[in-house]
This record gives sequence, structure tokens and C-alpha cells, in this order.
Amino acid sequence: MRVAIADDAVLLREGIARLLAEGGHEVVGTYGDADALLADLETTGVDVCVLDIKMPPTFTDEGLRAAAAIRARWPWVGVLVLSQYVEPGLAVRLLADGADGLGYLLKDRVVDVEEFLDAVRRIGSGGCALDPTLVSQLLSRRQTENTLERLTPRERLVLEAMAQGLSNPAIAARLQVSLRAVEKHVTNIFDKLDLIVGPDADRRVLAVLRFLHG
Amino acid sequence: MDRRVRVVALLLVAAAVGLGSLGLALPGSDAPGGLMAAEHPTMALLIGWSFAGAGVVAWALRPDNRFGLLLYATGLTWFSSALMATDSSVPFTVGLLTAPWWLGVFLHALHAFPGGQVKRPWPRMLVALLYVDVTLVQGLRLLFTSSADVPGCSGCPPNALLLSDQPDVAVTILVVQQGVIGTLVIGGTLAVLARRWRVASAPQRRVLAPVLATGAVCLAVQAVGLAAQPASVRQSVGWLGAASFAAVPASFLLGLLRQRLDRSAVGRLVVDLGTVRDGDPLDGLLGRALNDPSLRVAYWRPETEEYVDAAGRPFPLPASYADRAVTVVEREGRKIAVLVHDPVVAEDPALVSGTVAAAGLALENTRLQAEVRARLEELRASRRRLVEAGDRERRRLERNLHDGAQQRLLAVSMLLSRLERTGGDPSISGMAAEATAELGRALAELRELARGLHPAVLTDHGLAVALEGMAARAPIPVELVVELPHRPTPEVEVAAYYVISEALTNAIKHAAASRVTVHVGTVEDANHGALLVDVVDDGVGGVDPGRGSGLQGLRDRLAALDGRLDVTGPPGMGTTVRAVIPCG
Repeated sequence: MRVAIADDAVLLREGIARLLAEGGHEVVGTYGDADALLADLETTGVDVCVLDIKMPPTFTDEGLRAAAAIRARWPWVGVLVLSQYVEPGLAVRLLADGADGLGYLLKDRVVDVEEFLDAVRRIGSGGCALDPTLVSQLLSRRQTENTLERLTPRERLVLEAMAQGLSNPAIAARLQVSLRAVEKHVTNIFDKLDLIVGPDADRRVLAVLRFLHG
Repeated sequence: MDRRVRVVALLLVAAAVGLGSLGLALPGSDAPGGLMAAEHPTMALLIGWSFAGAGVVAWALRPDNRFGLLLYATGLTWFSSALMATDSSVPFTVGLLTAPWWLGVFLHALHAFPGGQVKRPWPRMLVALLYVDVTLVQGLRLLFTSSADVPGCSGCPPNALLLSDQPDVAVTILVVQQGVIGTLVIGGTLAVLARRWRVASAPQRRVLAPVLATGAVCLAVQAVGLAAQPASVRQSVGWLGAASFAAVPASFLLGLLRQRLDRSAVGRLVVDLGTVRDGDPLDGLLGRALNDPSLRVAYWRPETEEYVDAAGRPFPLPASYADRAVTVVEREGRKIAVLVHDPVVAEDPALVSGTVAAAGLALENTRLQAEVRARLEELRASRRRLVEAGDRERRRLERNLHDGAQQRLLAVSMLLSRLERTGGDPSISGMAAEATAELGRALAELRELARGLHPAVLTDHGLAVALEGMAARAPIPVELVVELPHRPTPEVEVAAYYVISEALTNAIKHAAASRVTVHVGTVEDANHGALLVDVVDDGVGGVDPGRGSGLQGLRDRLAALDGRLDVTGPPGMGTTVRAVIPCG
């Protein structure tokens, strides 16, 4: 994947660039703020942009704004937003028009190198990556409302993985079960929660998230 | 005692002069007695006396005000023309010479009413001009006027001042004296009076009205008299002038009486003060007593050496004293307040001191209240500053953590991850993995610590997003309704956030609630809006509002913003926490 990184903290920006390069991605540009990245995006072929959510000038939601701008102009470019905190309200804002090619992860996740590299790969190929913290918050909220009680514990794990954006093979790998078993769980979950099964993994993520967010 | 003697003496002199003049004028009714020889000598006598009498009364009321004496002098000079009725030359000439003097003194009095001084340049010039006209120009004219040419003077004694009998010169001087200078002075005075009326404040007009009305009428009649040439017209106009002139001292007295009548306002004030509650503003009551609706009271705060109003707010004294006067109120030798009022109020010092004496205790009470309120306001401001400083400091710490330690640790963590992946030695990889995991836990703890210091998401994204996260992290269902047309100020946001956070924690920890509803909205207050926060749970209730340092801390925080925190929770009925926080 060809990756561009925007983060005002040099230390982290360079660290992430190294991790991605060592993980087989090609880092085509590193920037101190979102505007600089956006300016280069037209001429630089980029598959995934990694954006810090807080950047100059206001240090509030520049990453989110840049994500929206990229989605509007270059819909084929994936965007991974990194943040010091993950908030359901911001996830909703980020995923307002679909989850394909989008990611929202806690900054700390970059040290789980394999998962991080996988997330970048997933986003670059039109998939989705949501932070486990966020997903478990949403799940536990639904759990407290007894809407998930019809699911078996195994089905809940599959639901969580789906919400994080994992594909069926990835879920099978994580849970160390067969692909067929995962597919069966997914069908069961969608039946039990009255969800329509979408054709693509990303549509599936959105359906699950909408359900979880209520 | 001394003053009473003087009053009696002045009255006796006026009476004697008046009677003497009448005695002179009456026997020789064919003699030219000046004004005293008009068709109604008794009326002329009454005019003179009323001027003198009104002058004495005014002087008795305000011994330090020259106005009364001017009025008195008008009355005395009024009689001087009666000397023209004598048979001998010198007194006749004195009468002839001084006949118009009263006019100058009268104009002086008119311009000096009611303060006793003519301060503005234009009126000063008019008064001076008329004095010159009725003394020097009159004397000059008499040098060339034989007594036979004096109107109505057929058998008069000779004019002792006559230098050479030149009727042409005399007539020319007369035209200058009465036609030019007289008209100028009268016209100028009318203009000055019109201006005085225009710029006068309401209490000033109350005093000026009767005087200016009669004075203006009188002057207008005189002006017509000067312009009219045939002697018959002159005479009838002269009578009319006398009649209107008779009303003048009465109007002076009426004007003065209007001020004097206000003294009964002190009695009313005493009654009204009985109904005033402690701390109520006294401006209106004192303003009514002193007949000045624009009156304001400023209370002295000795500890800060500044003036405050009844509510304790700083009260800057007027920078210019041109149209405002300041009267200091003292009690037992200490300054307690000042009255800022219309300068005309100061023209009746007795009324002012009476009013101040009557209101002294109430003023002192209000001053103490104002002082307490001012101190409360200072305390509140300082509490607000403390809370704000605390918030600022926590925010700074959170930011430092984020920009410093958190990022550095994350960078170290990334290095360890790379070491774990690249290091060939399995034991090194293992240790690196362990260190990464440990660092991950440290980072998570640090993140919680930072959030506890200050919720960055609140500052960055507002209440709705921050509360959504709070609700998502809560172990029980939290229904969230946030209806905010726009973001409140940071202090208000932080206060609302902490209220909800604390209420939620209490609901989970102490009330064993299974469900919480949070509502954030706005209400329109009397003058500005307020943020309304409701946190309702279905827990065990029975909350002791005084218990818990958390709630008390919130109360303090809200009080610093003039907000309110109400906690109600009857046993078994759940708990409702309501916060009202004014928005700016």
C-alpha cells in the first residue's frame, strides 16, 4: 500500500512511517498538518492516509475534517484516523456516509504491529477498521439493554470482530475456527438481530454498527 | 437674635422710605412724582414694599444669598423718584437722577435669581450695561435737560445739573438711553431667560417658572412702552407695566416658596423611610424629597476607598461637575455616602441637610448592605477565578501529558515493537514484547489519568460527543438527550460535564440504579439563558443532600458561576439531580 501520514508530533509520525515501511508498505509522504497532505494528494498516488485527529491549527478535529474532504474528492483513497481517545460520537461522524475504506483507532494500537498493519491493508482495499475499545463499549451498552442475550458467547465474539471490520477469513483466523463455522455464526447473528445481510464486508460493518449504536 | 433684629430694621427702613415717599408724592398731586405720581400712588407704594418685603423674607431664608438684598434694594430704589415731588432743586434733581436706578437693580436681581450671583458672561454684560445706562447716561442726559422739558413737569424746581439747555442733545441722548441701550438690554435679557428656561432641569424649572413668566411679561410691556411714542399710549402702557411689575415680587416669593414647600417632603421622607426594607435603593425616595428625579446615592467603602451603589457595584462619580453636584453625607464624622444631584438642589442647603439628617440611619444601613454585597461579589468573583484557575491548570497538565509523556512513551513503545520484530534473539524479542505490553498498560493508565484531569474530548468536541462517550463507558444503560442550539462557554460546559459525571457515578455506586436518563437543554431566564441539566435515576433514592464531598464540590463550582444544584431523592423513588447554570 502507498501510505501518506499526517501528524504534528514528529516522533510519532516518523515511528509510524518506520513501522509501515518495515511492514512492507510504501510511505509516500509525511506531513505536519492536514492541509499539507491534502495539497499533495492530487499528484501523489496514495492508497491510505493515516491522520492524527488533532493537528494544527485548532488541535480539535482537523483529522475528521480532512477525512471528510478526502472522502468527497478522492473516494478511492482509504483514511485511517488515529486519536488519543476513541469516542462513539466521533465514530458516528466519521462513518456517516459509509464505512468502506475508513478506520478509527486509538493511537496506542500502532504498537500491536501486526494488527495495525492489517488494519492499514484492510482500509486500503476498501475495508474498515474500528478500535476494539469502541466496539466493546458499544457491545456492552447493548448487552446492558438485554438485546444481545439471544446470542451465544461465541456469536458475541464474532459480532465484535465484525464490528471491528474483520472479514470472515480474518475472524476465522482470530477465533481459530473454520471459515464455514464463521459463516454459520454470521448468519445466525443476523437472523437473531433481524439484520439484513449485505453483500460486502463494509456494508455489514455499517449495519452492525448502526444496530449497536442504536 | 441678631438676624431677627436686622430683619426688623430692614422692614422698618422700607416702611419709612415708602411712607415718606407717599407723603412727598400725595400733597402736590400736580407735581411730577415719577412713578409715585402715577394714577395709583398706593399701588406704587405696594409694589415698592412688596419688593422690599420679599427681599427681606428671601434674605431671612438664605442670609448667605445676595438675592434677597438685591430684591430689597430694588424696593428701596423704587421709591427714589418720589423726591421729584419736592419743591427744592437739589432733592428734585436727585429724584430725577435716580428715578431709573431701580430698573438696573431689578434686572440684576432677575439675572441673579435664585442663587444671588450672575455668573455667565452675557447676563453680566447686560446687567453692567443697564447700570451704566441708568446712572451715567441718565446723568449725561440731565446735563442738557431743563426741568421744564421733563414730562409732566410744569412747576418743577430747576434741574441742578443743567449745564446748558439743549433739547436736541437731550432727545438724542434719550434715544440712545432708552431706544438703543434699553431695547438692547431688554431683548438680550429675554434671550437669556429663554435660554435659561431651555437648559433648565425639571427642579430648576419648578423654581424659575413663576419668575420667568412674570419677568418676561413685565419686560415685554416695558419694551412696548419704550417703543410707543405718543405720551398717552406711554402712560397707559406705563400703568400696565406697573401692574405686571407688581406681580414680580409675588412670583419671586412663589418661586422661593416652592423650594420652601419642599421641606414638607422631609416629613414625607421620614414616613416613607419607615416602609423601606433594608438594602432597598434610597435614590428614588431622596430624589423625591429633594425634588430631583435624577438624584443618585453613592455609598462610600472605606476599606477599598471607592464608591458603590446599593447593590455593591462600583459607582464612578461624575467626571465633570458642570451639570452634576455632589453632596457628602457624614454620620458621626465619617463619610458614609455622597448624593449626586442637580446643582439646583444645593441652592437650598437647609432642605438638603434636613433630608440627609432624616435619611442618615437608612443611608448608613444601606451602606452596610452595599458593603456586604460588594464583598460577596468580590468573593464570588474570586471563587470563580479560583475554579477557572484550577480548570486551566488541570487542562494544562492534561495537555502536557498528551504532548509530552504520552507521546514519548508511545514512541518508545513503537521502538520496542520494532525491536521485537527485528531482533533475531528470541529472548530479546520476548523481553521486548513483555516491555511493550507493560508500556501499553502504563499508557492506558496514563490515558485514564489524563481524562480524569481534564476531559479533552469535551474541549475539542463539546458536550454531546463527550457525554456520548461517558454514556458508552457506563456499565448501565444511559439515555442521553442533548438539546443545545450552540456550544456554551467552556466553564459552563465543564461544570455541566462534572455534574453529570458525578451524578452518574453516584447512581451506579450508591443508588444501585439500573437505568439513568440525562437531559441537557437550555432555558430562557429573565435576562439571559441558562443551561439546564437533569440526571434522573431509578435507584434507591434517600440521598442526603449534605453528604458527600463530590456534591459539595459541584455546588461550589456551580455557585462560582451563579448556578444552582438541586438534589432530590425520596427513599425508594430514585434520585434527581438538577443543575441550572447561567450562560454568560
